[in-house]
Amino acid sequence: MKKYIFTLAMMLVALVASAQIKKPEIMVIPSDVWCISNGYYTEVENMGMTTKVPNYKQALQENMGLKLAIAKINDLMAERQFPLKSLEQTLKNIEQQRMEDNLTMSKSGNELAESPLDEVARMAKADIILELSWEMKDFGPKHSLTYILEARDAYTAKTIGSSAGTGAPSISADVDVLLEEAIVANMDNLNNRLMDHFTEMQNIGREISLDIKVFANNSRGIDLESEFGGEELVDLIETWLQLNTVQGRFTREYSSENVARFTQVRIPVYDERGRAIDANGFAKQLTKHFKGEPFYIPAKVLVKGLGRAVIVLGEK
Amino acid sequence: MRKLLLSLLVVALCTPMMAGAKKQADKDTQQFRYDIECAGNAVQGTYLVKVWSYSKKANIAENQCRKNAVHGVIFKGYGGGQGCVSQRPMANMPGVETQYKEYFDSFFAEGGEYQKYASIIEGSTEVVKVGKEYKVGKIVSVRKDELRKALEAAGIIKGLNSGF
Repeated sequence: MKKYIFTLAMMLVALVASAQIKKPEIMVIPSDVWCISNGYYTEVENMGMTTKVPNYKQALQENMGLKLAIAKINDLMAERQFPLKSLEQTLKNIEQQRMEDNLTMSKSGNELAESPLDEVARMAKADIILELSWEMKDFGPKHSLTYILEARDAYTAKTIGSSAGTGAPSISADVDVLLEEAIVANMDNLNNRLMDHFTEMQNIGREISLDIKVFANNSRGIDLESEFGGEELVDLIETWLQLNTVQGRFTREYSSENVARFTQVRIPVYDERGRAIDANGFAKQLTKHFKGEPFYIPAKVLVKGLGRAVIVLGEK
Repeated sequence: MRKLLLSLLVVALCTPMMAGAKKQADKDTQQFRYDIECAGNAVQGTYLVKVWSYSKKANIAENQCRKNAVHGVIFKGYGGGQGCVSQRPMANMPGVETQYKEYFDSFFAEGGEYQKYASIIEGSTEVVKVGKEYKVGKIVSVRKDELRKALEAAGIIKGLNSGF
């Protein structure tokens, strides 16, 4: 009897858990333009070009206004039962992890293998990024604060919504007071946009993009125009997408014998086993299908972030 | 004895007058005739709005301001400008007022729950005579965080974390 009750309870817990979608993680970061205009950046040489890369750690250590802004946004989000993921803590964790990885060696002295792509995937921590910028402007003795808070979907890099504006000019208030005022006044509008985004995600799934490519001279000798049962491979892929996307939503942006690009692909938030899936997981489901009968096509999935995957057909 | 008769006469005369005023107030309330605009940046958890209420009697219009401010925040929203930030209505799904009519009838009834969420800013009253009626403006502070929580609890609007 006890066993029966226990099994029943476990089933109930699983049912409740599977009915809910994983809560997206949100993180506030200072925008590139704010970091660079305030001197919080490092210069990186890349293929002969000097690029300015934001230095978040320096910004957090040296700018009190930024810490105050993040704390205020966190306070307002927590009030809506949506606490933020801390940028400062994430940076500390990444540093700690990197240190641990550097010290990890096998008995024969081999280090851990990590490609630059693995590192990119590891860094992409939040589902939604809130990019914050502000600037003080002087009008004679008065000054006012121009403020932008933009929400971006980390999966697709598409803007979810933003709140921006210039506050009323003031003679006495300092930047911290004006910044806090701007955040309090604008946060509801941004939350409305987030709400619309969440509702859309729950209704029509996450949006990703998918590239299908073919290894040149692959051992299977196939390309996207190869025929199986009288149908071209690219059309069969499209049929699979039709069946496995939410409400069959996707767009074939471009296709040739070697490349096919699918955009606005709406994938389910969870797979049939209740696990949260991203572009990588979805691409793996597709490759699994074409590895089987009657295709037997080996394929490699390349991770390009949470919202984009590349499948290369023909070889592993 | 005379005093008693006089008192009874006063009561008898006042009752229909009061009933008439109440009727007028109810009529104006049911119509929710008002304009709402931003009145500046408010402290955390509140909106500061200026509400212009209309009625043939200035005191009735004045009394309606609190109710109209809460109604405006829930169903109308307001525009921004000059340092003010515009706000969308809290309940922006079409037909929500009709769908939850019973709830809102009781919420906005005389002495109803709406009173908990609004307070008049003293000294902010403006009265303008427009034709045969009065347009009364007051600045009202609406406790929007508490109001949102009440509407979420009643299932009228969804919380940001609903569905997760």
